[in-house]
Amino acid sequence: MTGTRLNVRTILGTMLAAGALLTAGACGGDDGSAPSPGGDSDPTETTEPGASETTDSAEKGTVAMSGQDFTEMQIMAEMYRQVLEGAGYTVDVNLVGTRDLYIKGLGNGQIDLVPEYLAGIADQLNGDKPFTTNDTQEALSAVEPLASDAGITMLEPSEATDQNAFFVTQDYAESNDVTALSDVAGVGDSVTLAAAPDCEGRGDCEGGLTEVYGIDIERILPTGFGTQQTKDAVLEDEAQLGLSGTTDASLDELGLVLLEDDKGIQPAQNLIPAVNSDFLTENPDVEALLNELSGTLTTDDLAGLNAQVDIERQKAADVAEAYLSEKDLI
Amino acid sequence: MTLLAADGGPACYVFTINDWICGDYYRDRWRELWDASVEHLWITAAAVVLGLLLAIPVALLARRLPRFEGLVLGATTIIYTVPSLAMFSLLVPFTFLTPRTVIIGLALYSLTILVRQILAGLRSVPDEVREAAAGLGYSSLRMLARIELPLALPVIMAGLRVATVSTVALTTVGSIVGYGGLGNLLASGVDTDFKAQILAASVLCVLLAVVLDLGLLGVQRVLTPWARARSS
Repeated sequence: MTGTRLNVRTILGTMLAAGALLTAGACGGDDGSAPSPGGDSDPTETTEPGASETTDSAEKGTVAMSGQDFTEMQIMAEMYRQVLEGAGYTVDVNLVGTRDLYIKGLGNGQIDLVPEYLAGIADQLNGDKPFTTNDTQEALSAVEPLASDAGITMLEPSEATDQNAFFVTQDYAESNDVTALSDVAGVGDSVTLAAAPDCEGRGDCEGGLTEVYGIDIERILPTGFGTQQTKDAVLEDEAQLGLSGTTDASLDELGLVLLEDDKGIQPAQNLIPAVNSDFLTENPDVEALLNELSGTLTTDDLAGLNAQVDIERQKAADVAEAYLSEKDLI
Repeated sequence: MTLLAADGGPACYVFTINDWICGDYYRDRWRELWDASVEHLWITAAAVVLGLLLAIPVALLARRLPRFEGLVLGATTIIYTVPSLAMFSLLVPFTFLTPRTVIIGLALYSLTILVRQILAGLRSVPDEVREAAAGLGYSSLRMLARIELPLALPVIMAGLRVATVSTVALTTVGSIVGYGGLGNLLASGVDTDFKAQILAASVLCVLLAVVLDLGLLGVQRVLTPWARARSS
């Protein structure tokens, strides 16, 4: 029966052909919106003498931007994009699920620019060992050598910061005369905390509340970071304290108030542009453009922008554009 | 500026109203839904086509080398057990943050179903038919193309339909690298409790699966006219 069966060589030949198709097909499927995977397939690239071949090195060329995919970063990415496009760059944005998906690419030039949180990227570059400083300048000088080793340059941090923050109901705040976290310990009762499941023991979460503020936490409801369930738990008094962020836009609307972190347990999570170092050397004007934006943005601005997207459901691009034109940045 | 509904009040998809079914949402965001559906469709199609192109030679090789068969079936099953989040993360260093990551990952998953089903299809061809063809002087390649694949087609198409529907669902996970089609809208909808968007993206996902399944059924009927003739 051997004559009626395909021989191995024919099949292997077919597999090779399929493999070739795979490569060709996959490249064909790579539409223009993808960040340049290594500079090799980017038609807009022109090679400058001495330029790194792994970045989009064309003068006013293409900027491959990534970042994390949630409301605040969508807005930041849109603002960066519009500011750079206003200066003549072409910008490809691809936001992804987690930081570790782009951090290597940012170091080796597959990605040129990422909107970041100062302590967030610092922890990542530090091998997930958290820095705990509450001071922006201290955090920046701690992260700069690590970033520079990784091929990343940190630009100017914005005053705007998105830190863990704890909220109570307006009723609780008024009846117990509470405005800051240190007031909660004075109320005396043990509290239930609605928070992310990883909150327990962390210095910026349950650990800090217990050890630094002396709050007696009876138990933690694992309802998530700033989720609707966390807010509902506090509103329905299943928990007295809930975890969210300083730029959470929906708290006001719901009758919840943020408490001040008066003993500074939160690391400095200022919004900051992280740029591939080679890219910045070739495109030095990017620094001034993004620093001007960072210098303008405040935490309140950011909370307001988040509200426009999360509460009013406007699009991040429209919200960013309105803000930038109001501040004369585009 | 608040987004307004057609009647001048706030749109029914704003956070404070947040209807599951909301005409204003479809009116304001149809373009986004359309683009996501198109991306979903081409990523799914590319993954299944790539999976099929890989599965056919692998199945043929497995049929030719019985010892290889156990290895292949074991390997494709192990690939299927890799969680999709991990799969995409593992592929990113090689394929970067491009649609390739999602397409290759999903194609690898489809192998589990496709390789088995192609093997089963080829085995369903009766030996007498094969011997008769050999007697008529069919070469092995011609026998594959003219006798074996056509007769195996109903079984292979059944596998292709299952693989396609499962790929439509898995494509949504591609949102972790930014190429998840409707999955991008689902993920951001869940994050921000955007009910109209969650429901619309889910329904479109199901519709896409049904349309592709019916489409493949149609293709199968066109390709196997003899089956229709027999049953009617």
